[in-house]
Amino acid sequence: MRVGYFCTFTPKELIEAAGFSPFRILAKESITGIANAHIQSYSCSQARGSLERALRAELQLEGVIFTRSCDTLMRLADIWERNTKMRVYNFEFPTRVDEKSKDFLISEIRDLATTLKLWGGDITLQSLKESIELYKELEKKLEELFSIKPDYELILRVQEMSVKEALKMIKVPQKERDKPKVLITGSVCPFLNVFKLFEEVGFAIKDDLCTGTRFFSFKYPEIDINSIEDGFRYLAEKYLYKAECPTKHYERERRFRRILELSKDCNGVIFLLMKFCDPHFFDYPQLKEELEEMGKKTMLLEIEFPAVSLEQLRTRLEAFYEVISC
Amino acid sequence: MIFAGIDIGSLTSKCVIIDENKILAYEISRVTPKIEDVAEMVYRNALMKANLSEKDVKVVIATGYGRNKVKFAKDRVTEITCHALGAKYLIPTTRTVIDIGGQDSKVIAVSNNVESFVMNDKCAAGTGRFLEVMASALGVEVSELGELDKKAEKSVSISSTCTVFAESEVISYLASGEKVENIVAGVHNAIASRIAAMAKRVGVKPDVVLTGGVAKNSGVKRALEKELGLEIKVPEEPQIIGALGAALIAKVRYADSRGKSEG
Repeated sequence: MRVGYFCTFTPKELIEAAGFSPFRILAKESITGIANAHIQSYSCSQARGSLERALRAELQLEGVIFTRSCDTLMRLADIWERNTKMRVYNFEFPTRVDEKSKDFLISEIRDLATTLKLWGGDITLQSLKESIELYKELEKKLEELFSIKPDYELILRVQEMSVKEALKMIKVPQKERDKPKVLITGSVCPFLNVFKLFEEVGFAIKDDLCTGTRFFSFKYPEIDINSIEDGFRYLAEKYLYKAECPTKHYERERRFRRILELSKDCNGVIFLLMKFCDPHFFDYPQLKEELEEMGKKTMLLEIEFPAVSLEQLRTRLEAFYEVISC
Repeated sequence: MIFAGIDIGSLTSKCVIIDENKILAYEISRVTPKIEDVAEMVYRNALMKANLSEKDVKVVIATGYGRNKVKFAKDRVTEITCHALGAKYLIPTTRTVIDIGGQDSKVIAVSNNVESFVMNDKCAAGTGRFLEVMASALGVEVSELGELDKKAEKSVSISSTCTVFAESEVISYLASGEKVENIVAGVHNAIASRIAAMAKRVGVKPDVVLTGGVAKNSGVKRALEKELGLEIKVPEEPQIIGALGAALIAKVRYADSRGKSEG
């Protein structure tokens, strides 16, 4: 039985420990049609495309967990609840991410565990410990794999299955020959043809994407888990120090510092932003400025799902390639 | 030594033939869906004008949306780089290139090479196609738009940036008895404000050079100059700048390959 989620701030370990299989909901190929009757056209195509899938009964899920991230996702939860038969739960991940929010997050994790129990999934100390360990193993392996060569097909697939199945799929890739490297920053990109285009143009890729490295980049707390409460505290700390997202407020510009650090060994930075993704667009001007002060060339690519008009994307990417390699 | 650049755009194809010092000939023709044939034809016609044959040409470089369909080209380079190099060749003080083509527009910041660029291709406003639609709604030829703009006493405001809605605004003005030339000025101002917003994202540094087919329309130049608050230069034949840039790259590629084989 699967439980859906949208945001990488969802503690998947709990879903897994409760005996469900976590399933990341992302827009797919279908053009938004019926969803337009329920959601504004100025919502992002990830929100519209996902709702479309739900309304077309493409998603067989026990329930869906929404998180407090962007406005659109929060309101999508209400639309989802009214228009599908799926159970919906709002997991209130704090917007301000610092030590002060830890206790609040722990209580939210506790409530989520209670909800999962109501949905028929019981969490035991053993199942929680096991799932925490397995996810850590998966994340470490993905981190290693991505440091050699990112595999977006794999990472998108592992987000649609249980952690045990996911671990079986990891294979270490061959190292690439030297190519100009770009950092891609943005929210989600479930379309492999976009990454393929980057490769065809001749770039090596590194990413700060919610469907890429932000899925597995964490700082792990040093906590011995001897009770379920310890497990909750562990998860709260793990997710507070997860790779940063523009929907949150951090101390000392944590998000910008991560991106500037990631871009150090790259020849350029590409903002792959989804049309109408406010959190990313509001950060864009300042982040662009700071990257350019570092001497990095940047380019903004605005995309909508499903990703069509690829030849126009190609022209921009090739031109950017010409800019950074001349 | 002879070099050629071919620019297959969304509405027209262009070919420029150069030797080491000057432009020898060029050809502009309409694009049809059979891009391979269009490329062949525009190339042959340009060669004919220069009294040359394919054997005389050392290197051909293709650019534009259809660049990957030009099988006989040695290499492909994007129109962004080509417009920058072409404009800089004709006007060495170029720092900003505004290229308004048939179905897209771009603003390119140039130093020695391309510094950065912004491109609009999702929306027809700010493109040649927008002008074609408006001209047809007004019952005039695209080539008349510049002269009509000069006769305008005032400019109506076109509030919509969507071609379809802008067209209905134009029709509404006609119905209310507004003079065609005032509507034309409004259409040009609408394009200019759209392009200026793009240009400001890149940063506008003089000299600003306007290229692409739409640069032939003096009304668009007038409106853009007003919107940006500076003088804009237009090359004698602005439509061939991309193809010229491609030909210049062909010349450099040939020199590079010679350098390698001699070295």
